[in-house]
Amino acid sequence: MHERLSFYVHRDSPLHRLNPLTKLTMVFAFILLSFGSPWYWTPHILIVLVILPLSFVGRVQREYLLTAARLIFPAAGFLFLMQSLFQPIGQTIWFRWWVLEVTHEAVAFAFVNAARIIVMVSSFTLLLLTTHPSELMSDLTRRGLPSQFAYVIISTLQIIPQMQAKAQTIIAAQRSRGLDTQSSFVKRVGALVPLVGPLVFGSLVEVEERAIAIEARGFTSSHAKTSLCEIPDSRFDQILRGALIVSVILAFVSRLWLS
Amino acid sequence: MKINIENLRFTYPTGLEALRGISLTIASGEQVAIVGQNGAGKTTLVKHLNGLLQPTQGSVHIGDWDTRQHPVSKLAARVGYVFQNPDEQLFSRNVGMEVAFGPKNLGYPAEKVDALVKDALALTELSDKTETNPYDLSSTWRKMVALASIISMDTDIVILDEPTTGQDAVNVRRIAHVIAALRERGKTVITITHDIDFCAENFERVIAMSQGQILLDGPANEVLGQEAVLATTYVDPPQLTRLGLRLGLKETVRNQAEFLTAIRK
Repeated sequence: MHERLSFYVHRDSPLHRLNPLTKLTMVFAFILLSFGSPWYWTPHILIVLVILPLSFVGRVQREYLLTAARLIFPAAGFLFLMQSLFQPIGQTIWFRWWVLEVTHEAVAFAFVNAARIIVMVSSFTLLLLTTHPSELMSDLTRRGLPSQFAYVIISTLQIIPQMQAKAQTIIAAQRSRGLDTQSSFVKRVGALVPLVGPLVFGSLVEVEERAIAIEARGFTSSHAKTSLCEIPDSRFDQILRGALIVSVILAFVSRLWLS
Repeated sequence: MKINIENLRFTYPTGLEALRGISLTIASGEQVAIVGQNGAGKTTLVKHLNGLLQPTQGSVHIGDWDTRQHPVSKLAARVGYVFQNPDEQLFSRNVGMEVAFGPKNLGYPAEKVDALVKDALALTELSDKTETNPYDLSSTWRKMVALASIISMDTDIVILDEPTTGQDAVNVRRIAHVIAALRERGKTVITITHDIDFCAENFERVIAMSQGQILLDGPANEVLGQEAVLATTYVDPPQLTRLGLRLGLKETVRNQAEFLTAIRK
């Protein structure tokens, strides 16, 4: 079986080699910029000129574009549609249909909001695709993050793909017992019970086992822990982080200035 | 029901070529064990038998059915597949309902379902646990529930994926007893196993796989005697077989009776 423990795609690229904290800073900088910048087109520019090229730099463009096409763009598109139709703002009415009024202002608002969502989800996707979760967390705990917190994050990052793999096995096992999961809607809904039961129960058991396993290695011990793996933090990383933070501060200052 | 596999190749979406040209015929009522190192393609191969995986190239026929033309839920009437981990399939409130799930899915009338459930529970020694919640049972008994839930489907072919892993000696004997009973009923049993003693004691035909191909296929005595070839797929022949080989016995032995007969000559 080839289960993926996280979204991480193991490849060698400049983006993979960046320090995890730099990439995390990048994610939050992009999000803050897309929300904080006074310039309307900031999130759109970020998507086209920064995030998309970065996916090529990280050699994960295929995985990123697939995620974008399947998840990010449909969700953002839905948000755009809803906000365009139902935002009760603006005077410049483009057209009226039934009880709905579509105004220029609402569409503009929806368009920037959808772009912000895309920036948010995309930058996290890139982070997850190019950073092994355990690398991210060991870097952060080394910098003083409580390991309990790291555990919560890391298990959250891992649990969805793990449950997916588990669900696949359960579906295969129940189909082998004649469960029809492919025909009518009613049958599919009925087929949920035999699938959800083992999935939930199995996940609970796993949580307990994991807790015991990490405690057996002194998880709550208060002694300082050493780490087996070295995570490089280059001069370039530090400069990049500084630049990102400065750009966020500039964005917010100029916003205050202009308002 | 005859199984016919012709030049089967399978590549996972990740690009890994797991099966590289397998041709195999298993006659009705045969008891076959498949051995080989992890990643040799054993599970991938048997997942083709009930359509969970579709050939990338080549074909798999179960009786007169091509597995590509029938959904898994229909093939389930011909091929029963016991998964390795019972916890990935048990969901019912009690053992009886769990075991009845398969035959009900196959659309059998209530009386037939009852009869099949009763029979499967008797065979797996679960008759006194019909009302118990499967999760209140020990893991060895949960394995038996999983086994019973496939036997109750009364398929001509039964696949067991690692039935003895993590089981105690008593339960291994119970499983061997179930396999013997299935043999008497004329069922085909195909078992993936790493337990070479279990393989030697219960199966007449052994297939050794390595890197997506069949390395050896033949009567158990012949295959288990090929120590050097088996070593390439990290399988050790059973202890007695190895002892027999070292002692220079003429024929390959695989259990105590054969060993004693051979050594007295």
